[in-house]
Amino acid sequence: MLKHSKIDELLNEKACSHSSTKSSSCNKPTPGNTTGGCAFEGAQIALFPYADAAHLVHGPITCLGASWESRATLTSYSGTDFTQMGFTTDISENDVIFGGDKKLAESIDYIYKHYSPEAIFVYFTCVTALIGDDVESVCKESKKKYDIPIVPIFAPGFTGSKNLGSRIAGENVLESLIGTKEPANLGKYNINLIGDFNVTGDMWQYTHLLEELGINVLSTLSGDGRVAKIRGAHRADLNVIVCAKALISLVRKMEEKYEIPYISVSFYGLRDTTNAILSIANALGDLDLIKRAKELCDREERKTKKALEPYIKNLSGKKALLNTGGNKSWSIASALQDLEMEVVATSIRKCTEDDIQKCKETLGENAILMKSPANEQAKILSDFGVDILLAGGRSLYTAIKKKISFIDVNQEKKISYGGYDGLVNFAKDLNAIIKNPVFKNVSKVAPWENLNSKGSLL
Amino acid sequence: MSAVNKPLQVNPLKLSAPMGATLAFLGVKDTMPLMHGAQGCASFTKVFFTRHFCEPIAIQTTAVTDITAILDGGDRSIIEAGENILKKATPKLIAILSTGLSETKGDDIKAASKGLKKVKEIESVYVHTPDYEGGLESGFAKAVESIIDQLVEPASNIEISTVTILPNVNITPLEVEKIKDFISDFGFIVKALPDLSQSLDGFLGEKQGAISSGGIDIKDIKKLASSEVVISIGQSMKRAAKKLVDKNRAIEHLHVDSLNGLDFSDKFVERLIRYKNIKPSTKIQRWRSRLCDLMLDSHFIIGKKSFALALEPDALVGLSKAISEVGGEIEIAISPTKSEALKEVVAKEVIVGDLEDLERACKNVDVIITNSHGYRIANRHKKIIVIRGYPNLEEVGNALSSDLLYEGSTYFLREIANVISKEEHSV
Repeated sequence: MLKHSKIDELLNEKACSHSSTKSSSCNKPTPGNTTGGCAFEGAQIALFPYADAAHLVHGPITCLGASWESRATLTSYSGTDFTQMGFTTDISENDVIFGGDKKLAESIDYIYKHYSPEAIFVYFTCVTALIGDDVESVCKESKKKYDIPIVPIFAPGFTGSKNLGSRIAGENVLESLIGTKEPANLGKYNINLIGDFNVTGDMWQYTHLLEELGINVLSTLSGDGRVAKIRGAHRADLNVIVCAKALISLVRKMEEKYEIPYISVSFYGLRDTTNAILSIANALGDLDLIKRAKELCDREERKTKKALEPYIKNLSGKKALLNTGGNKSWSIASALQDLEMEVVATSIRKCTEDDIQKCKETLGENAILMKSPANEQAKILSDFGVDILLAGGRSLYTAIKKKISFIDVNQEKKISYGGYDGLVNFAKDLNAIIKNPVFKNVSKVAPWENLNSKGSLL
Repeated sequence: MSAVNKPLQVNPLKLSAPMGATLAFLGVKDTMPLMHGAQGCASFTKVFFTRHFCEPIAIQTTAVTDITAILDGGDRSIIEAGENILKKATPKLIAILSTGLSETKGDDIKAASKGLKKVKEIESVYVHTPDYEGGLESGFAKAVESIIDQLVEPASNIEISTVTILPNVNITPLEVEKIKDFISDFGFIVKALPDLSQSLDGFLGEKQGAISSGGIDIKDIKKLASSEVVISIGQSMKRAAKKLVDKNRAIEHLHVDSLNGLDFSDKFVERLIRYKNIKPSTKIQRWRSRLCDLMLDSHFIIGKKSFALALEPDALVGLSKAISEVGGEIEIAISPTKSEALKEVVAKEVIVGDLEDLERACKNVDVIITNSHGYRIANRHKKIIVIRGYPNLEEVGNALSSDLLYEGSTYFLREIANVISKEEHSV
């Protein structure tokens, strides 16, 4: 064992190429003070939406047992929907001692024989990485046997955070899949959508509009995704990153390798959705397309504004506090402003410098940017008389027990808030929650709290 | 019993031992479960139980990284985690659970637990729960064994009329309360280890979630060896009861495999009567009579049906018995792990398997009873489904159902019969 000081030194590697001003996935998690998911989860989030591929988790049962079928990543795939299935080698003590390679190979055989997927992703986990299973060779051998892509994903949990895991997944896809097949579905304008996982159908709120403009979604990583399509992603004219900082290194590398430019957009709220569609049209550079895109956005905005009218009446001037991360810190804020609500504060804990800048632009000078929402949030909620808290499902029950109205804006939400139509869903939900009398009702004191010292009612 | 011969799990029913152990520790007051593994192990567990119980869940992680995985023997990150936990919360007990990762590394969590006690002057227990061994039920049981081993003070005297119950992982928070009340009715003072009825029962309180929000007091745990009787409920808890008897040979051990259905309840009552020589209260007598009547009323509906059950072993024993008492036929019972308990399951076929096996087998049955992953299977094959076990991500109030003893068994059969009737009307 090394000395503790030596471990500290390794954990704080100075030569790391990340920005020195901002926390990155290189910052190691703190023991006893860490809440997020691991790298494996990040890889899983990024790739599980490929519905035509089987996702085999090579590890013990915690990794998949608790997490399969827990994200509503919808798909239009007509075959067996692998996004809602779980495959794991569920390694035993015996495998830990003697190695899990054989079990892995047999599992791949089993999956091919019973489900004949278009591809198989094989996920390394902490234990199988530590015992040194040769996942790569097993995948190579099986690939020869079945002639489908069998892609190893090297993101065991201990590598780091969710964000890093998504990044690794992107890298592995770039190395193993992209450019391995010519696309069958080329159109006039071809784009790849990167980073939208189609949770609750978010992606479908805008893909029909792109199609209407004649923009072909060549492939996705990975919402409503197909492995067959991502293999031909190198023929795209443009990469569009949707709300996913983790995958920026993937599109940067695709730019270097295939000269595909990229833009980063958000589809939350009226203004951002319009911006996104216009940015895509602008980047593709066809004047006629740009003109048609403008007309389409005008039409959709008019339609949406009309649909929002009954809700905005109740929402206008209501105060919101946003505790989420990355793009959502400003994109959801912008959606709330479209509903004429006031965003009192937003969390920048999991934001890049770029995101923080956008938060400032969106929220204006007076808004509070919370660096440590866990410590700041409670005071802001009470000081400003905040009407609703928007955050991820993890904090839901803590919030409602404190009788704070809450909307889940992360992946466990039940309905899509993306695009124009999603904004109407969002307004509808906000409206229903803000006017719900439940908090007033459960705040009433119990009858026995009103007893005087003699035990009779006051 | 047989195991399906395949190299992998497809749509796993199995959940891990460290998850089971976490749940047990959440039934001990002022506890912070500390999972010694990569941050994902704790994160998955937290999200899983948060969604199942609709409650904030206390858990922390040592967040093992690729570097500490190789270079740290565990003591450093555990002590550091302890320090960081105590900066933000005030637990009285830090419970260290190992995982597949930390066991493969070979960390000495016993020494780390000792170190934590010394450095931070706090109670600490440790439990070995590699997730490549056993499952939810055995992990829960192991945590209880560790608590008894490491916290209970040996005793030689007993306090008359005190009972310790050791409920298994399948017993809901409300069920723990129902069992306690039932036994109290015979004149006993009852403690439960763990006591989820006081922590994860879904109550509205202050400051929940930073540490376990209730449960059995650590002071009370230390004195459990003076109980007159220890009652283990479910095969998985038998060893824990023996560990308590090891602390005081004068304790009497009463074991029941389950408390579901008429027969198990009757046998349990017989034993309690033998201890106390008193008749149960009129309320209990009345519930037995209601159960018998409902068994008659529901046998027309349930008796014609065939069932497939996919649950933890101890739950299979109880529910298969309760259903078969009114003539329901269990075509197949699927357990995620091996267990002695599987010998006691009343079913034509008992296998160790997953939900892929359930899907293949369910074609020949009318009703499926399993966790909420079963919804998709039931929809696909147009089967009736009743949700039991972990997780239930589709319904609320999961802590507040009770299927056991005379009262709960009555409600259980009522639910099954009515779900069947409703489904048949909708066809």
